[in-house]
Amino acid sequence: MSLSLLFLDELKGYAKSKVMTVLWFGLPFLSFLIHFLQPNTEGLPISLLVGLVVSSIGGTLSGIMLSTSIVSEKNRHVYELFLIRPVKRSSLLLAKFLAVYLCLVIAIIISITFGVIIDEFTVGLSEDLLRATIESLIISTASMAITCSIGIFFGVLVSSVPVAAILSVYLGSQLSSIILLPTFFMEGLNPVILALILGISITFIIMTINVYLFSRKQF
Amino acid sequence: MSEICIEFNNVSKSYKDLLALDHISFTIQKGDIFGYIGPNGAGKTTTIKIIVGLITDFEGKVSIFGNNVPINRKNLHNLIGYHPQEAGFQEWRTIDHAFKSFGRLSGLKSNHLENRIIEILDLIGLTDFRYKKIVHLSGGMLQKLRLGQALLHQPKILVLDEPLSGLDPMSRFQFKGVIKELAKKGITILFSSHILNDVQDIANRIGILNEGKIMKIGSPEELQSSFHIGNLIEITVAENTSLCEGLEDFNEVDQVEKIKDNKQLIYLKSNIDIDICISKIMNAVLEQRCRVRSLTLLNPSLEEVYLKYVGGGFK
Repeated sequence: MSLSLLFLDELKGYAKSKVMTVLWFGLPFLSFLIHFLQPNTEGLPISLLVGLVVSSIGGTLSGIMLSTSIVSEKNRHVYELFLIRPVKRSSLLLAKFLAVYLCLVIAIIISITFGVIIDEFTVGLSEDLLRATIESLIISTASMAITCSIGIFFGVLVSSVPVAAILSVYLGSQLSSIILLPTFFMEGLNPVILALILGISITFIIMTINVYLFSRKQF
Repeated sequence: MSEICIEFNNVSKSYKDLLALDHISFTIQKGDIFGYIGPNGAGKTTTIKIIVGLITDFEGKVSIFGNNVPINRKNLHNLIGYHPQEAGFQEWRTIDHAFKSFGRLSGLKSNHLENRIIEILDLIGLTDFRYKKIVHLSGGMLQKLRLGQALLHQPKILVLDEPLSGLDPMSRFQFKGVIKELAKKGITILFSSHILNDVQDIANRIGILNEGKIMKIGSPEELQSSFHIGNLIEITVAENTSLCEGLEDFNEVDQVEKIKDNKQLIYLKSNIDIDICISKIMNAVLEQRCRVRSLTLLNPSLEEVYLKYVGGGFK
């Protein structure tokens, strides 16, 4: 009950934020500009290019947004007003994670849909391109789940907004690429399946740690 | 005998090496307006956070309406409304949105919640600002918002942590009026404050806390009369006339101090019959034909009582 209420609340808050405006409209627009103004993208179709841009920059931005907003809310004692009510601490974190993650997925879907439409009218949409785009989408979303959970981790752990932002930038996005590492060392692994399995399990583990740490906090 | 609403029995709480509460015991009766005063770091907020369930690891026994803490969070929240000292709000919300979210999380249904929001906005004077974003509210409005969210679910106990700090004189006056109104409706109120005059204005019982210990509890009158400084008499005579002499020879008198040419203070000993002592002094005054303008038994202000108990000293 409280999770769904909190999730809808957070979704409303994040959806109205400037970061989401950048993600939903700014980044796809930037990708189109890069593609058309700088055609030397080694033949990379626009659907893949925007997917890459949104997932890399968007993932990092979301990690920063989550970590800094949690630190700021902790420091301003925002959680006291929630925790005196029948609200589980885990719900507070999960609601934030799900809201930001959903906003990110929406950003990627918007971007790639526009990319696919433009590709259809410019280079023509082949079955291979479509498959590559979908695979890229799945890997990106799995990677972003890890970035978001790491953002929450630093948000819960540290008490300085700049430190949380720096850690999210340097460690969050680096650690999220872990899902692709095994494919470099082991042949025959399906990167999409692997990304899904690792993305879900690593996110689950980090979120469990986050909830544990958050439940031990004194407010 | 009125019902005990909150009871602390030998409660202690430490933060690592710091003893925040040191075996404190007190009770708050139903209908009390209990003013909780003490210097910074005395343990007021720790006490309050134990009551509202934000601190659960403490020693001793705390009960709310006879139920031992920890109480199921939902049941505890139904009983208590909490106005935190410095809790912030997510600034992208409007007042309306914040009230709706907190109301729903408190378990209020839509129709009832809408009515409550209208009532509360009217009570705290924010009706015209219902759809204003929190980021644009002044400090005083935020204090009112904190009070409003605490009242939404109609609690039986209202716990206010420094509710009057940061308010301008007019807002403080209005805020005190709201607290008195709520008390008239039967809500038990515990509030902490540094502003002693405000505590004296509102509270019918006061607890003085210092270094984690309860120094004194009682009504404002009890606190003042129990303090030795209550046995102090001030005599003022007409200008250019002589003061009364020989008063220090009375057994009941501790010390006589001339503070002006026409004014003297008589410090009396404790555990004396004040009425007999006053009549003796009046007889002396009459015998010496002093031209007395006033003879006053002085009571200490709450501030003086407070300073005495928190180590500020008293002349």
